[in-house]
Amino acid sequence: MLDISLQIILNGISLGCAYALITLGFVLVINAIGAVNFAQGDFVMAGGFLTVVLAEFMVADNFNPIRASGLIILPLVLISMACFGFLFSLIAYKPLKNRPPVTVFISTIAMGLIIQHSINAGFGPEPQIGPALISSGTITIGTLTISKQQISIILSASFLILCVGFLMNKTQLGRKLRAASQDSEMAESIGINGPQCISITFSLAIALAGAAGLLLSNQFFVTTSDGGLYMLKAYIAVTLGGWGRLDGAVIAALAVGLFEVIMATLVSYVVAEALLFAALLLVLLFRPSGLFAEAIQRRT
Amino acid sequence: MSSLYSRDFIVTLIIMLIPLCLALNTDSYGQRIMTLSGIYAIAAMGYHLIFGRLGALSLAQGCFFGLGAYSAGLIGVHFGLSFLTCLLFAVIFTALVSLIIALPVLRLESHYFALATLGIAQVALLIAINWTEVTGGANGTYGIPQLDLFGVELSSSSDVLIFVWVILVIIVSLTFWIMRAPFNYQVTLLKDTPEVAASSGIDIGRWRLTFFIMSAIFGAIAGALQAYTIGVVSPATLEFQVMVSILAMTVIGGKNHPAGAVIGAILLTHLPEWFRFLETHYLIAYGAALLCTIIVAPSGIFGLFEKFIIRNPGYDVKSLPSKENKAVSDTNSTSLEIQGLSKTYGGIKALKNLNMTLTSYQIVGLVGPNGSGKSTLINIISGLQRQDEGTIELDGSFIENTASYKRSNRGIARTYQTSLRSSDLNVYQAILACSSNQHNLKHRHNQTHAILRNSRLISKTESMVGDLSTADARELDLCMALATEPKILLLDEPAAGLSSAEQQFLSTKIRHLAQSGISILIVDHSMDFLLPVVDRLICLDQGSVVAEGVPAKVLADPKALKLYFGNARS
Repeated sequence: MLDISLQIILNGISLGCAYALITLGFVLVINAIGAVNFAQGDFVMAGGFLTVVLAEFMVADNFNPIRASGLIILPLVLISMACFGFLFSLIAYKPLKNRPPVTVFISTIAMGLIIQHSINAGFGPEPQIGPALISSGTITIGTLTISKQQISIILSASFLILCVGFLMNKTQLGRKLRAASQDSEMAESIGINGPQCISITFSLAIALAGAAGLLLSNQFFVTTSDGGLYMLKAYIAVTLGGWGRLDGAVIAALAVGLFEVIMATLVSYVVAEALLFAALLLVLLFRPSGLFAEAIQRRT
Repeated sequence: MSSLYSRDFIVTLIIMLIPLCLALNTDSYGQRIMTLSGIYAIAAMGYHLIFGRLGALSLAQGCFFGLGAYSAGLIGVHFGLSFLTCLLFAVIFTALVSLIIALPVLRLESHYFALATLGIAQVALLIAINWTEVTGGANGTYGIPQLDLFGVELSSSSDVLIFVWVILVIIVSLTFWIMRAPFNYQVTLLKDTPEVAASSGIDIGRWRLTFFIMSAIFGAIAGALQAYTIGVVSPATLEFQVMVSILAMTVIGGKNHPAGAVIGAILLTHLPEWFRFLETHYLIAYGAALLCTIIVAPSGIFGLFEKFIIRNPGYDVKSLPSKENKAVSDTNSTSLEIQGLSKTYGGIKALKNLNMTLTSYQIVGLVGPNGSGKSTLINIISGLQRQDEGTIELDGSFIENTASYKRSNRGIARTYQTSLRSSDLNVYQAILACSSNQHNLKHRHNQTHAILRNSRLISKTESMVGDLSTADARELDLCMALATEPKILLLDEPAAGLSSAEQQFLSTKIRHLAQSGISILIVDHSMDFLLPVVDRLICLDQGSVVAEGVPAKVLADPKALKLYFGNARS
């Protein structure tokens, strides 16, 4: 009994960790441009498909009967998704940067449609399965049996989250990115290339989405229609965690993942989903600034 | 007077009739697609109201479409009632649901509103899939009866086509009626600059609620028609794809005009036919078209059409009756009493127990260093911000907890330091939008004309407000405030950025206004401008009054002197 409940909790944490990566990217973009990237979920899905393709490709190349493991593919996915992100910001954000945020919302909805249905045209609607991060199988510690896949998801996601924290808080690039997010004009007046910073933020955000796609691709499969649901989870986590807060977003995303897995095991997946939306609506109703205080305040 | 709008209406009808006539001469397949266009045009018409006109990104339009389809379809299947009865039920049901949703959701802003409406749509989808006993679950419910009209079945595809398009024409006419002048201008003002609209007496909440419910009703009608024409309701009608299609139609066709919704619906429902090689992947083309439109032509196809073919002539002011109207209503003596007003931001006290009185025929100047609480005071009096403590009494009734637009209706008007300008209105339309709701349209036109005659802007009535110079924008601000027929007028740095000649014009105008009985409060930094105009000067520092009285007295006050000129002069 103990190891089953521990199993469920680990499951929840690993899902929550993947959600945390998605949500981090989501918040970075919100802070940088004051608008929502509605295609974030579709980039998660795209990252998953990229993983599947890369895994197949590397098998054929090496005459190796075992598919390449996720951990080897991860850097490749991060780099290529970052390039996609840069391109994405040039298409969907740059031409609209002086327009109301709602226009960016729509352009990202449009990009999401294009991404989702292009991949659907190529691969079809059937679920695909990605490679395990290191290997499948379990570790036994005393009486506990833990799946290696989950532990490796949690470890790699935590590593990436810490990297983002380090990048944003301790490096010069991170300071520039934050400065450009807070006030693009002011940042430019002290010699920071604002538009470039925003494009870099997009790269970072979408690389994180891609990484989440890779992490989820083995256990949860990848389906072209998944994007919307991931986007919604990130959206919920951002709202719960306080609009614009990175730490709040990570904690809330973990909570969402845990809650989803526990409720799905105890009752059913549908109830878990419904309760999440209900919680979201209640938070919007009574505490629209999120459970944690809001980082960005609208100036009047 | 409404010639522009009736011409617009005729253009829209022509745009609708041409493809309809073409479709009536094609085979039944072509007619069925055109029927689908009509159905989506109805849903898009609702979306054009809430998103296009009001700028609120609702993601629940697909949900309303699905609710309409389910409620009409299920009643038709289980009770065998006539279509119009089922339609009526679907409309009432969806309107009620939207009303319940509106209560918590409508006050949310942009992303939150989008998210909350999306969340509700997801909940509806979950219910439709999982409440199998009622909805038929993932497979939906089959066997919805054919469309009928007073007992006569509409069996041929051309009958159905005509029926749907007659409903569409009714809905387009209704939309034009809702958006008649000056409401269309009010809504534009509301979308671009909600604060200005509220302090001009326009009730944001009422418009948002009306448009949200209208969008739900139009969505429900479309959904019901859809269910009856294809004979099935399934969770597909509630999926996000429907929402995205409606959004794409509204934006691509042109979100600011009813004709845009019709054009978008016709185009996008035919697109899969025209591009058959896309097979089922036509949503890629939807996405690409949506992206191109939002980047290249944000006002859509109809926007381009309007720009290049039927250039908007605007209003011809000269054709209006030039009868001399008194711009300002007769005011008996009015007074505004402020007592014990306090406001804290975080740890900073912006206002500390402030008392002040404004009376008719009097001009009061408010001075003080940056951060002394001047703008906060104006924001609180006009209702843009709320005080922590204290009362505001206007002619004997307390208004400190009244909504901004209601204060405006009671006679408090204001101008803004930095004008956030709407770009879709011209000068005349912007002033007309603010004109007091108590009068009929003719009076409002007359009043707008009268205000313009006393203004420097008389030669620029057709200029778009976004193109005005700083000085003209400030003058427009004042004209818009006067259109609400104020008793109390709050001017936030009206002279900033004006040349001395323009300042001269302004001070003469302000004095005239005071003589007609308005009580005026001016915040400004320029003593050269203030001193000759004001009757009384109030000096504010760190949220409290430091000195008060006739200008000469305040200027002699050592504390005020120190604030303004430093210690050197004392």
